[in-house]
Amino acid sequence: MLEYVLLSFKADRRRALMSSLGIIIGVVSIIALLSVGQGLYGGVNEQFGDLDMDLITVRPGSGMGMGPGDRPASTPEEPAEFDDKDVKIIDNVLGVKDVYPLKTTRVLLSFRGDNTSVSVIGISPEEHDDLKVVVARGRFLTGSDYKAAVVSHDIAEDFFRMDISPGNQIRLYIDEEDRYSDFKVVGVLEEDEDPTYASSGVYITHKAMDDLLDVEEYHYDSIIVRAEDPAQVEALAEEVEKDLSRIHRDEAYNVEALSTRFESMLEVLNMIKYALAGIGSISLIVGAIGISNVMMLTVKERTHEIGVMKAIGATTWDIRTLYLLDAGMLGLASSLLGIALGWLVSDFVGSVANIPQEVTLQSIVFGLLFGVVITTVAGIYPANKAAMLDPIEALRAE
Amino acid sequence: MSLVEISGLEKSYRVGEMEVPVLKGIELEIEEGEFVALMGPSGCGKSTLMNILGCLDRPSKGRVLLKGRDLSRLSDRDLARIRREEIGFVFQSFNLIGRISNLMNVELPMTIKETARNARSDRARELLESVGLGHRLDYSPSNLSGGERQRVAIARALANDPSIILADEPTGNLDERSTTEIMEIMYELNVGGRTIIMVTHDVETTKDCSRMVWMRDGMVQEVTS
Repeated sequence: MLEYVLLSFKADRRRALMSSLGIIIGVVSIIALLSVGQGLYGGVNEQFGDLDMDLITVRPGSGMGMGPGDRPASTPEEPAEFDDKDVKIIDNVLGVKDVYPLKTTRVLLSFRGDNTSVSVIGISPEEHDDLKVVVARGRFLTGSDYKAAVVSHDIAEDFFRMDISPGNQIRLYIDEEDRYSDFKVVGVLEEDEDPTYASSGVYITHKAMDDLLDVEEYHYDSIIVRAEDPAQVEALAEEVEKDLSRIHRDEAYNVEALSTRFESMLEVLNMIKYALAGIGSISLIVGAIGISNVMMLTVKERTHEIGVMKAIGATTWDIRTLYLLDAGMLGLASSLLGIALGWLVSDFVGSVANIPQEVTLQSIVFGLLFGVVITTVAGIYPANKAAMLDPIEALRAE
Repeated sequence: MSLVEISGLEKSYRVGEMEVPVLKGIELEIEEGEFVALMGPSGCGKSTLMNILGCLDRPSKGRVLLKGRDLSRLSDRDLARIRREEIGFVFQSFNLIGRISNLMNVELPMTIKETARNARSDRARELLESVGLGHRLDYSPSNLSGGERQRVAIARALANDPSIILADEPTGNLDERSTTEIMEIMYELNVGGRTIIMVTHDVETTKDCSRMVWMRDGMVQEVTS
């Protein structure tokens, strides 16, 4: 029987190709879309996978995330103002390893006559190890530094005509050049291939930041908390939130474990991946309808032949099997071709559009299975139609 | 026991509201090894009788025993098995499959029977050689003359070594020379022991027949030897 089916493909190449085109395209789109989806997922996972899963951020205002530490934003509240008192409270929470407050603002950086807007980040130098920054040239800030700055790699090398090096003088303008401070660059950071929350900018001490801003009360705009046990990070976030609520009762602030945000992002990406596969499946189903149509035509065309086969002893079952096998083989061949083409397409799209893509075994199995099953299902109706033909009527057909 | 025993066979078709009788009580026995010519004017029911004998159709009434088995009591599956193993069809219009080779056409009944590949290929080759077409194995039937096609059809009919050959006007589409060739093959098959039941219009082709059955208006009118 199989032989006979193969032979009928050979004899009817154009029919086979035309009917399988829809399936091929369907499988190609499933493979390509799944691989791009998987690539996005994998890419994000890789980018953030080595991100510190033991970190919690504490920010004033109502957060955008929906982490467990979020407070309901139903009543308009004043954003909380965090200072050293809060740092101490957090530091005292059981399970907290380190606390480092940050203050970020935009300034105009002037270097040898060129001006560029950059972020300036106030830090506590004692905890600089934990900020995951590596110094390429010079040194990092120390607690005794005052008018000293460390600049990130991109600012040092890309923003100005001349590179900024340790020992150079830079000027930071606040409020449209009204007020400024001069800083001595003591270090340049290494290029960060994996930009995270605080890589690009000029790092100065909180004390220098306070003087630069010249405000009455100096508040941190985020506090990074590192947990002792990454597995307990979410529980710790709740603990921190609870302790802070004692002095910030009616104020808005947001405590969020990075891992929570990361997980929900992965979840969304996973959903996107399957939504993309769903779109691919639609084209596969359209392809299956095409197969069904072409097979109906084939059955009509071969009515006489089916009559002959019945006359020489083929049972209803034989004919049905024959045409289902025909459909299944067509599905298998088209799916394999579709997988190969889909691989090429996703490679091509990936490299041209510069998006990550990854053809996984899972997507291949999915494409193959779906292609074969859908095609065979599409063949059921025509195969039944063929099998139920009355042999005498069929023999009369020409 | 006769090979074929037909008694009180009636067959009618529904055309709209009307029941149109085609066979109206056929009584006929055919012994093993006979060469029976079935004759009669168009529309007398010859083909319907052949279809019932060939297990392609079922009687409306009456009994048709083939080797003692009542055809009207058999399942579709059993009828298909009889068509496959006990009956060889030869049609007026050959009914070969044009998109496969002659060899595969002859193999087809054995393919359906699930005969092993080598065995069926050998047998098909042998059969085609026996009808003088050993040099046309890989040709398509569409590249053959009418006489050659009918010889392929005969080879196919013999594939599963059936005891009965049902031939429905096997020479109806052939020229004189081909007709003679085909009838010679039929005669040899009969001599070889096969029972042949042949519908024909051409009295010339009946000279080797052991019996002639004349039909008229759905009934057997006369049997001559």
